[in-house]
Amino acid sequence: MALDIYLPIAEVSVNGPLLVALGAGVGFISGLFGIGGGFLMTPILVFLGIPPAVAVASLASHVAASSTSSVISYTRARAVDFRMGGVLASGGVVGSILGVEVFRWIRLIGQADLVVSLSYLIFLGVIGGLMLSESLTTIIRSRRGDAQPQIRDRRPPLLYGLPFKVKFPKSRMYISVIPPIALGVFVGMLSAIMGVGGGFILVPAMIYLLRMPANVVVGTSLFQIIITTTLTSVLQAGRNQTVDIVLATLLLIGGVIGAQLGAKASSRFRAEELRAILALIVLAVGLRMGLGLFLTPTEPFILMTGSGG
Amino acid sequence: MMVQPPPVPPTVSAALTTTEVRVTSGFQGARIVLYGAVFDPSHRPSDVVVIVRGPEQPIRIAHKVRVAGLWINSRPVVFRGAPGFYKAASTRPLDQIAGFGVLRRLGAGIDHLAINAPAEQRVETRYGVKDVVVNRLGADYLDWRQAVVRLKAKMGLYEEDDHGVVFVDQNLFKADITLPTDAPIGRYQAQILLFQNGQPVSQRVRELDVKKVGLQRTLYLFAHFHPWTYGLVSVSIALAAGWAASVAFRRS
Repeated sequence: MALDIYLPIAEVSVNGPLLVALGAGVGFISGLFGIGGGFLMTPILVFLGIPPAVAVASLASHVAASSTSSVISYTRARAVDFRMGGVLASGGVVGSILGVEVFRWIRLIGQADLVVSLSYLIFLGVIGGLMLSESLTTIIRSRRGDAQPQIRDRRPPLLYGLPFKVKFPKSRMYISVIPPIALGVFVGMLSAIMGVGGGFILVPAMIYLLRMPANVVVGTSLFQIIITTTLTSVLQAGRNQTVDIVLATLLLIGGVIGAQLGAKASSRFRAEELRAILALIVLAVGLRMGLGLFLTPTEPFILMTGSGG
Repeated sequence: MMVQPPPVPPTVSAALTTTEVRVTSGFQGARIVLYGAVFDPSHRPSDVVVIVRGPEQPIRIAHKVRVAGLWINSRPVVFRGAPGFYKAASTRPLDQIAGFGVLRRLGAGIDHLAINAPAEQRVETRYGVKDVVVNRLGADYLDWRQAVVRLKAKMGLYEEDDHGVVFVDQNLFKADITLPTDAPIGRYQAQILLFQNGQPVSQRVRELDVKKVGLQRTLYLFAHFHPWTYGLVSVSIALAAGWAASVAFRRS
């Protein structure tokens, strides 16, 4: 079929319109929930037969594109805390460099499959579960007309007891930079290992750990994702030559448009409903990825492409 | 009395319909036809075997093992000497054409491919016998080797076709070679062997190039020879596309 396109770096043939549609779908989710969408896209690409190393690397630029597309809308419509984003990103840069090295070593000993599946199962499972129970509680409370519980202590010692305090005027906070930097490092490592932007961890962490105001969380997380995925993308191309520009372009054509539509649609939903839907998606992907660890494989051997991945 | 002419040795000759497979954006694999002829004035019964080998690629393979209820990969084993593509086509099943030793020496047939895992082997003295090759995989070694072949065959990269060479006329034969989309890039070799009485009596070698052309080639070379520039360009496209989309949507 003429619509199939041979990818020069991945060295496989894929259906062009299907990839554009996929990019659009994931881009929509990205704009809607303010996440990169990598956690959805990586497993799908691998399922389509694209070597994991190429999928992870090419995806980074797709995520950068759709995040740029929606962060501009968020900057106009709501708010981005650029200072907080910068602090998170400085940790993210360190984390992704570390993560790329750790992942190289894991691939060398042939355990990339295990680490990737386990990370998906644990992180997506835990975060999806927590988000789902929290958002359902909120939805049920508001349906019953109960009063929402009192907002928790706004000055947890973790944030206010540590040194190097910095003012974040946009978020109306004056906290130590250590927790956001640590969060950035952690998310950066995960993103290199799992092939994700890290938004699905960043967004809840910013709300529940950093206690940032909800209105700036999404835009700020997207801003930090752009910085780390841009870096990851260049690093992967430079060190591993695994970025497939044709694959990335196909994905981002749909991705940037989908992200715009998603960002527009997000105002029509209530925040807790959005969180409940996102939680379900996150949980489903995590369980699906983890399932392979428990099922008896039909083929007991596995070929590892190229340098493994 | 007539002088008996010296017996003319039987020979085989062959040609490929294509000697260059061009991998473009629309590459969907390729089908190449090999034609050949047998010249043998004495018309002894002949068999033809065609072996096509792609560029050599080391193979990393792991075994799934169950640890604490989880299926994980064992330590990967590297096999060397494996062609990236292998097809053996013949007029009859190979074991009817020639004996084990001959096939093994020629590497004719998937079972006779000279692949091994050198890193798993060591030479030692056992029971007073010197230079014994011991394989760390032990008795499982054959399972590993079979798995390599099985997985490659599943991808359409290894194939053995007992009736892949067909005589279309008295001395004229033909064989189809199908390259899947996943076929590796590089130089391929087609070896055409003529067998009589279980022995190879004549052979020809034809070469085939599978290469990326046009945009495919340009991008591939760019990615490998200027990786950092390539990375910057690809990420700039991404950021520009994201920015363009948000501008376009703002206006609409």
